[in-house]
Amino acid sequence: MHTAAERDGLVPAPAEAPRSYPYRQPLDWFTRRRGYVLYLARELTALPIAIWWLLFLVELSRLRDGSGGYRPLEGWFVAVSVVCLVAALYHSYTFLSFAGLIMRIPLGERNVPARVIAGAAFSGFAVLTVVIAALLIWGGA
Amino acid sequence: MTAKTITLSVSRYDPERDEKPSLQSYEVPYRDDMVVLDALNWIKAHADGSVNFRWSCRMGICGSCGMNVNGEPKLGCSAFLRDYLPGPVVVEPLNNFPVLRDLIIDMDSFMEKLRWVKPWIIRQETALGGGENRQTTAQIDQFRQFSMCINCMLCYSACPVIAIEPEFVGPAAIALARRYDLDSRDQAGQERLRTLTGNDAIWDCSFIGECSAVCPKDVDPAKAIQQTKFESTMGMLLPWGGKK
Repeated sequence: MHTAAERDGLVPAPAEAPRSYPYRQPLDWFTRRRGYVLYLARELTALPIAIWWLLFLVELSRLRDGSGGYRPLEGWFVAVSVVCLVAALYHSYTFLSFAGLIMRIPLGERNVPARVIAGAAFSGFAVLTVVIAALLIWGGA
Repeated sequence: MTAKTITLSVSRYDPERDEKPSLQSYEVPYRDDMVVLDALNWIKAHADGSVNFRWSCRMGICGSCGMNVNGEPKLGCSAFLRDYLPGPVVVEPLNNFPVLRDLIIDMDSFMEKLRWVKPWIIRQETALGGGENRQTTAQIDQFRQFSMCINCMLCYSACPVIAIEPEFVGPAAIALARRYDLDSRDQAGQERLRTLTGNDAIWDCSFIGECSAVCPKDVDPAKAIQQTKFESTMGMLLPWGGKK
């Protein structure tokens, strides 16, 4: 496509696009900045959580053989669960930390401060955790 | 007594001669108050006039001298040599852009992306002679941070998504779109949102956040992108969402 000035012959049209060297992302790009490493750590936390759910479904399927088949407190399952808990807590921490950044809640002419939103998100998380734990521990009993 | 010097390894690429870029080292006189751009200008003036790089204001306003300094996207005019002692200082072109020559990148794709998000005030009705569109300080504060962008493209260099998906509209363009969305005088929020929620836009971002980490003007493009994601989601879920 030519500009009006080129069509009118005021400036010569460029003969062809200049040759350039394309950028190639190195395979180890994620090691080059601390932020990339933390990002990958955050994203990879989804993997153990997904694995835990698969194992949990396997445990549940054993219930078909009666309650004796359900052995969620075996050592290996507890160990996997602890790893998954750490991953889930880290993921939750990063997610909730961003809440104040992501949400813009108008309050009059200004916005609710980011710290208040993040604080409310962490508080809500803590309250919900206590409620669910209470339901599981005392409700189950 | 010998004068103190520092080594600069500068990426060189001549499209008519070289297959790929390579580093060339220069010994540059060192002073505590020198920045990388000063060193490059010294090389150009005293050692090798064929070194090519963009620069203009020398004070972090024009956004011309974006380059990788020791692998970190920086403005050459704000990167002090004293922070890289004893050297060498490796100076390369920004990542994620084709290199035209030495430190000069091809920024056509970025200019196209900028136009795509319509970073200007759009009004549905034009009241000629109606006076100024006045704003309160609070209204200006809503978008002030995003208006500080100088189009230096450091955020594009730090964004790994761009390397995988070159069509991704990218951090600075979305931050500028956000700047106009939050402007009380603008009336095209929905129009821009349709663009930004389409292909190659906000949903390509996986929130790595390095665009904000390298921004020399604290624009925080990651915040602009996530806020746009949040508001577009709320616009779908809530009946009063996405009013503008």
